[in-house]
Amino acid sequence: MELLEYAIIGGILYGIFFSLVGIGLNLIFGVMRIINLAHGQFIVLGAYAAWLVSRHFGFNPLWGVPVSIVAAAVIGFPLYYAVVPRLQRSGDPEMLSFILFFGIGQMLEALTVLGFGADQRSLPSEALGAGNIGVLGQEFPDSWWWAAAFSMAAIVALWLYFTRTKLGYATRAIMASRDEALATGISVNKVSALAFVAGLALAGIAGVFLPYLLGSVSPDLGDGLTTTSFAIVIIGSLGNPLGTVIGGLVFGLGTMLMQTYYSSWSNLVPYVLLLVIVLIRPTGLLGKAVRSV
Amino acid sequence: MSDRSWLKRWRSGLIVLVLLAALFLFLPHVYGNESLLFTLMTFIVLAQGLNLLYGFTGYLPFGYVGFFGCGAYATSLLVLHTSLPVLLCVLGGGLAAVVMGLILGPLLRLSGAYFSIASLAASQILYYVVSNTNLADITGGPYGLKIEQVYAPAASYHTMLAVLLLATALAAYFRVSNFGMGLRAMKQDPVSAAMAGIDIVRARLITWLISAGVAGLAGGVYAWNLSVFYPEAVFTLQISVFAIVFALFGGVGTVIGPLIGAGVLYSLYSAIGISTPQYFQLIYGLLIVLLVLFMPGGVLSLFTRRGLRVF
Amino acid sequence: MSAPSPKTFLRRVAAGLALSATAVAAHAAAAPADIKIGTLYASSGPFAVASQGQYEGLQFWAAAINKEGGVFVKAFNKKIPVKIVAYDDQSSTSTATTLYNQLITQDKVDVLVADFGSVLTSVAVPLAAEHHMLLIDPTGSGANFFTKPTDYLADVSIPSSTVWPIPLANYIIQQKIKRVAILYGANDFDASQATTLKEVLAKAGIKPVYDHGVPTTESNYTVLLHTIAATHPDAVLEFGYAPNDIAFLRGLSQSGLHFPMTFTIFPGQLLGLITKNVGAKALNYTYTYPTPPLVKYEKVTYGMNTADFVKAFQAANKKEPNFLDCAGYNTGLIVQHMLDMSPQFTQKDFHQAIMDMSGKTTTLLGAFDVNANGAQLGQPFPVAQIVPEGAGSKMVVVYPQDKATGKAVYPAPQQ
Repeated sequence: MELLEYAIIGGILYGIFFSLVGIGLNLIFGVMRIINLAHGQFIVLGAYAAWLVSRHFGFNPLWGVPVSIVAAAVIGFPLYYAVVPRLQRSGDPEMLSFILFFGIGQMLEALTVLGFGADQRSLPSEALGAGNIGVLGQEFPDSWWWAAAFSMAAIVALWLYFTRTKLGYATRAIMASRDEALATGISVNKVSALAFVAGLALAGIAGVFLPYLLGSVSPDLGDGLTTTSFAIVIIGSLGNPLGTVIGGLVFGLGTMLMQTYYSSWSNLVPYVLLLVIVLIRPTGLLGKAVRSV
Repeated sequence: MSDRSWLKRWRSGLIVLVLLAALFLFLPHVYGNESLLFTLMTFIVLAQGLNLLYGFTGYLPFGYVGFFGCGAYATSLLVLHTSLPVLLCVLGGGLAAVVMGLILGPLLRLSGAYFSIASLAASQILYYVVSNTNLADITGGPYGLKIEQVYAPAASYHTMLAVLLLATALAAYFRVSNFGMGLRAMKQDPVSAAMAGIDIVRARLITWLISAGVAGLAGGVYAWNLSVFYPEAVFTLQISVFAIVFALFGGVGTVIGPLIGAGVLYSLYSAIGISTPQYFQLIYGLLIVLLVLFMPGGVLSLFTRRGLRVF
Repeated sequence: MSAPSPKTFLRRVAAGLALSATAVAAHAAAAPADIKIGTLYASSGPFAVASQGQYEGLQFWAAAINKEGGVFVKAFNKKIPVKIVAYDDQSSTSTATTLYNQLITQDKVDVLVADFGSVLTSVAVPLAAEHHMLLIDPTGSGANFFTKPTDYLADVSIPSSTVWPIPLANYIIQQKIKRVAILYGANDFDASQATTLKEVLAKAGIKPVYDHGVPTTESNYTVLLHTIAATHPDAVLEFGYAPNDIAFLRGLSQSGLHFPMTFTIFPGQLLGLITKNVGAKALNYTYTYPTPPLVKYEKVTYGMNTADFVKAFQAANKKEPNFLDCAGYNTGLIVQHMLDMSPQFTQKDFHQAIMDMSGKTTTLLGAFDVNANGAQLGQPFPVAQIVPEGAGSKMVVVYPQDKATGKAVYPAPQQ
């Protein structure tokens, strides 16, 4: 019974963090209908940013969070304007963005290897507290709590953005229907660019905590993270960023439970979940209809 | 239809087939690295097989390698557990991939990106199931499989050439036949195509199964040629990635597009691989980006833009 | 069957003459200008870190031997410089296959050395056999390769995984440890070690209280550790690659859990990398397989002994060697000995030379003992415990008796 409790609470914590991992992907898709297949590589970049900040400059890795946000703006705005309007005008923006961002992801991974080398890097555990915090008698590492806390903060911030700010309303309008938003005078490109940068920033922030949750970071983690993020996003519902929380929880719980009872099958969890959801309820647990001819 | 017009329609296809066969029968005499030629053929087959599905129906199977691995494993298991001759085992590999395609048939209900990711998930599931330690007694698990007893580099080389010719012939068929035209109509505008009487679901399924079968045959011959392999060797995503990049680069929906794409890019890969391979990932990443932005139809679109017909 | 036509007959005679001419030519041939040693390395991908270490060691050997004028080749009775021809396979098996073939058929190397590890070595095995070339296998330990006698394979710098964990198993039996938890990665390297270990333990009547595999890419051990702790083990043995060990040890130190004995593989091979990522405190009192240079062989019959190698490597490369560097250097040594023993310059003679030196040679990695199947039965890895000493820590070999440098601290104290 105790094992089950541990797996459940751990699953929730892990799941909340992975919601943050997935939410950037969902935001970008929801607003621009663009699939950022380089998502995992941006997360890895965030992790390396935190590594530079802490190992190279000696600051607390949490400073990686503002660094990621700034970097996301610096990279994201030019990237958006260079690429996205062209894609939107083309015949099949979904598939082309898929392939384009896949290419960007490969480039990022190659640059990361060239820049940092292929070996594993970790962050100092003392920086986030090397102890454990317990709830209901189950103890989890401090870094897990920090990760979950930041994830919740980011998700709440996103929710507030959507529901309380003008830009947020505009973003939701674009998510609902791009053409109508354009017709009502919203400067779609500016708002979308902001959403794109926000998506990258969220990925970077998730990356800062990644080495704590996964033990270390190396350049080849990107692809696995992208597919896991997909699974999470699709389970929740592609296009509904808050559904990512549901997806993250399902993933977290599934993984932890599998690890406890059938550990050698645990890597199947995101993929099986994805297949099941996509075949039974392709719109995800929260979504609306998607074309199916 | 009279013989003459049949020949006319198929002329381009036959020319391509003959050229291909001549090329790959001749090359080993001047260039001794048979493994490279064999792997080149393998990637051309995979690019062509992917082209059958993506070029003619618009479905991009990110998990295409799943069928390849399926064929590799089915062939190897048949060799290990039955006394069937190797070629039959290879056919068995192709068949196994087709069966897997049938099982995964429901994925075709999905659209665009969902389909791509779902096919990726399916291929990863296959990979993890096959390589799981608990199944080591059945599939070899993490230890991989050894079928050294049938190792035959020359025979497997020629068999892969045969598979290559088959895949290209299928692409030619798709290109010139009514079936293929129906597919392309479906890809452009599914609703009108349905109204014109084309059985969309059936056509898609058949294309999907053919594409799967091609990958399965390729996997079977590859396993035969390699004869010692771990699960990663036949299920790695890199194979899907290369097939997609090669097909896109050449130009999908044509017959020679994948040939050009795989031929040029894989040769480039091997050449760079010998000098500065760490840049290869950077280069092909950049290539993909430039391709999508400026040449989404692939290299062949440079010709079609000028009004030249390509096959 | 009718007699061959005159044309065919003449062709055959011509072919026969040509063949014998080349054979004679090879014998009387002038020695080659340099000995081409072909190998692969991975600059990226999961095997990069280890592969580059191995390649560095081989390069070090080549540079050192060339400073002395080259390697002495008995078949030509003179010293000939060596030249390493190496390509990057990026940890991909399909790339490795074509590159091995390139080395054999295009570069026509004289000696073929495999890349790091079982996965990248596996594709070379049938290729080498087909082209009748001896494959020098530095670190491919997979049990899968060594199942039948062969002239074309020799594992020179790492014990085969069927013998590797035997000292560890014997240590556990000797310490009368009863409750054993085993966690292993689902790959040939780790799974075969776990299997061998369990077999040896079973013979002593010990059945593990926890015995599970995890995916090779597993990096989240928090819940796994908790599940293991629930079985109250006396010893926890984790068989993984370096990233697994890092994640496991970090998870363990963060979880506040405590086991009397914890064992992982890579601290003994890549101590620097592991310490950098998990911290010295997390490593204290854990056990591992110490490998050269952490374990030193003083009396060697060939090449530099461990201590001398460490000094020379440090002087040349300005950094401390790890196990892979030693393995690469050892590979070079074996090739060198093979060339200075082999009466003729053919692959079969090379193999025979390796068989002849087997059982009679000791290098910086220990006793060299290759059997007819190509498996390395020597170079055993002892068991050691990492013990804090002053500001740092030291590796105390605890088993077997003849190599031990101290007694184990068991159970490990809480820190």
